[in-house]
Amino acid sequence: MIEVTGVKKTYRSGETLVHALRGVSIKIENGEFMSIAGPSGSGKTTLLNLIGCLDTADHGSILIDGTDISTKDKQELALLRRRSIGFIFQSFNLIPVLTAFENAAFPLSLLGLEEKEIQRRTMEILKEVGLGDMAHRKPAELSGGQQQRVAIARALVKDPQIVLADEPTANLDSRTGQEILELMEGLNRNHGTTFVFSTHDKMVMDFARRLVLLHDGLIQKDESQEPSLGASTTLATGVSTERQGG
Amino acid sequence: MKSRLFLLRLAMKNLFRHTRRTFITGISIAVGLAMFILIDSLLVGIEEDSTRNLVLYETSSTSIMKEDYWAEKENMPLKHSIEKPEAVIEALQPTGYSAAPRISFSGELIMRQDPYPEDGSMQTRVIAIDPSLDTEVYLLDESISRGRFLEQDEMGVVIGEWLAEDIGADIGSPLTIITRTKSGYFQTIDVEIVGLVNTPNPIVNRTGVYIPLETADYLLEMNGAVTQIDLSFPYTTDLKESTANIQSALSKLPPSTMDELAVVDWKELGKDFVALAAAKSGGTKVILFLVFLIAAVGISNTMLMSVYERIREIGMFRAMGMSDGEIRLAFLMEAGGIGLIGATAGVLLGVLVNIPMVENGIDYSFLMRDFDMGYRITGIARGLWNYGTIVSAFVTGIVLSIVIAFIPTSKALKMQVTDALRFQ
Ligand SMILES: Nc1ncnc2c1ncn2[C@@H]1O[C@H](COP(=O)(O)OP(=O)(O)OP(=O)(O)O)[C@@H](O)[C@H]1O
Ligand SMILES: [Mg+2]
Repeated sequence: MIEVTGVKKTYRSGETLVHALRGVSIKIENGEFMSIAGPSGSGKTTLLNLIGCLDTADHGSILIDGTDISTKDKQELALLRRRSIGFIFQSFNLIPVLTAFENAAFPLSLLGLEEKEIQRRTMEILKEVGLGDMAHRKPAELSGGQQQRVAIARALVKDPQIVLADEPTANLDSRTGQEILELMEGLNRNHGTTFVFSTHDKMVMDFARRLVLLHDGLIQKDESQEPSLGASTTLATGVSTERQGG
Repeated sequence: MKSRLFLLRLAMKNLFRHTRRTFITGISIAVGLAMFILIDSLLVGIEEDSTRNLVLYETSSTSIMKEDYWAEKENMPLKHSIEKPEAVIEALQPTGYSAAPRISFSGELIMRQDPYPEDGSMQTRVIAIDPSLDTEVYLLDESISRGRFLEQDEMGVVIGEWLAEDIGADIGSPLTIITRTKSGYFQTIDVEIVGLVNTPNPIVNRTGVYIPLETADYLLEMNGAVTQIDLSFPYTTDLKESTANIQSALSKLPPSTMDELAVVDWKELGKDFVALAAAKSGGTKVILFLVFLIAAVGISNTMLMSVYERIREIGMFRAMGMSDGEIRLAFLMEAGGIGLIGATAGVLLGVLVNIPMVENGIDYSFLMRDFDMGYRITGIARGLWNYGTIVSAFVTGIVLSIVIAFIPTSKALKMQVTDALRFQ
């Protein structure tokens, strides 16, 4: 579980101060499928970065499974990210010299797992995202949607506690974007992995079971909703009981 | 451990994917190193050749003179001569070094119109040599370009070929030398040019005047005395050691004789040359440093580019929990790989080009005749195999490449992860 309490973040750009977050509190339960929405500049990326331990808050606290991340040093945070947090980026950020398989296997290589184990788990997740037969392709030989699938596989392969996705569909056409969201939703149900993704696209927001609306660095709305597509079989409480392991 | 291996694989993949960059950086390292190797080879080669030519044609390895003669070497005073050279040579036998007696004295060369183009004279140093013993120490006899070498007790003279050209002399031309005998009387020596020498030592070619020892002995009233006894041993011999050998051999002589003798090695004798060489080696270091700088700039340019264009990638690595150390290691291994490729190519290139430089050398005789560069070589500069330089160039190429990649990588790692991820 992740608890964000009274978080503020101010950027200084030259003389002016930009209050990106002005006191944000949310609780994210394990297994949620949640969207952080809001107009450009509302603080979505800032919030995701704070939850993802990529940046530190000026005020307030963020607890991950009861531990305040501000008590951890740079190295401990890196280790936490390596083990427990998966990232999906808007621009995919795959390593161009590596194949789809190698990209997806990257987090496991970092964890120093056995080669056999890496092989097994990577192939499994690649099949799950529908790229079982494209494992040997380089990112340049894949479409945008396929690249984002590799990125999703990379985020999920280590079975993280939470996957953070900053505008995962913004670089894709709406059809492909929808496929990606359906894939994420399916993985959320099958693996019980928490997903938090940001967007300013109405269609994408509707996919979430919980919608947090940011405006000018403050939470305007935070409510559970009936997901629009594909997710109809899941309860709208946003809490899944299927989560397996840590 | 496994993740290290993974980082190595990643580094190598990056290396071979960015072929253009790897190629350009590799080339700049290779060219820099090859130049480094060649210049070093040539400079050391020239120095080595110069030293050999100094010793074999000009100074000998070590010379024994009266202390007073050495003190007044500019005037070459005959009154400070070694009276009994045979005794000294005899005493030197245990050292195993070859010895040649010589008389060096100053004289005035007189040239008269017909056969010379015009009347003229010049102050010079004349060296009287024993035609048979001298060849044990010097290589003059092998350098006769025209005419023949000196014979005992003849009124002949051998001079440097360039000197002959300068004064307009030829084989058969008469030459008059005006000098003073040992006891100070004026003496006129009329000789005929029997041979010209063209040695690899430009000083000899430009200034050498040689007459037979016996002729000089008689005309200068030396009574068997000589100004010096020149010794020959390999020029690579440790001079402290050889001097000690000589001194211990000389100590067998009667104390009075021995006390007055100076043992002067080629480094002392060729002081002008040695000082010049030292000055040049300073210049050499500057040249080598410049070459080094060129290579460094070439490497750093491409290294900087390669890191900056991948700042987002570094941001992604960090977001995924890679430690700074691991990222740095990956980039440094990549840089080391480029360094290895460049250094290998550079050493190969350097060695390949150095082969003809060592075998044939560079012919610049057209320059040597008119410009005195102070080196004791004529015309051909030869390279030398300098394995130390080749190895250190190789290592330097790799280390340099790694060190230079370190800077931009550190800069990228100092950025906030979030800034690195947004970097365009
Ligand atoms: N590194 C930074 N330095 C200065 N200001 C920043 C920085 N990052 C974000 N900001 C500012 O903070 C505010 C919130 O930015 P943030 O990126 O969180 O918004 P966002 O909701 O993700 O917007 P978008 O939809 O355009 O991605 C913006 O006004 C932005 O200009
Ligand atoms: Mg954003």
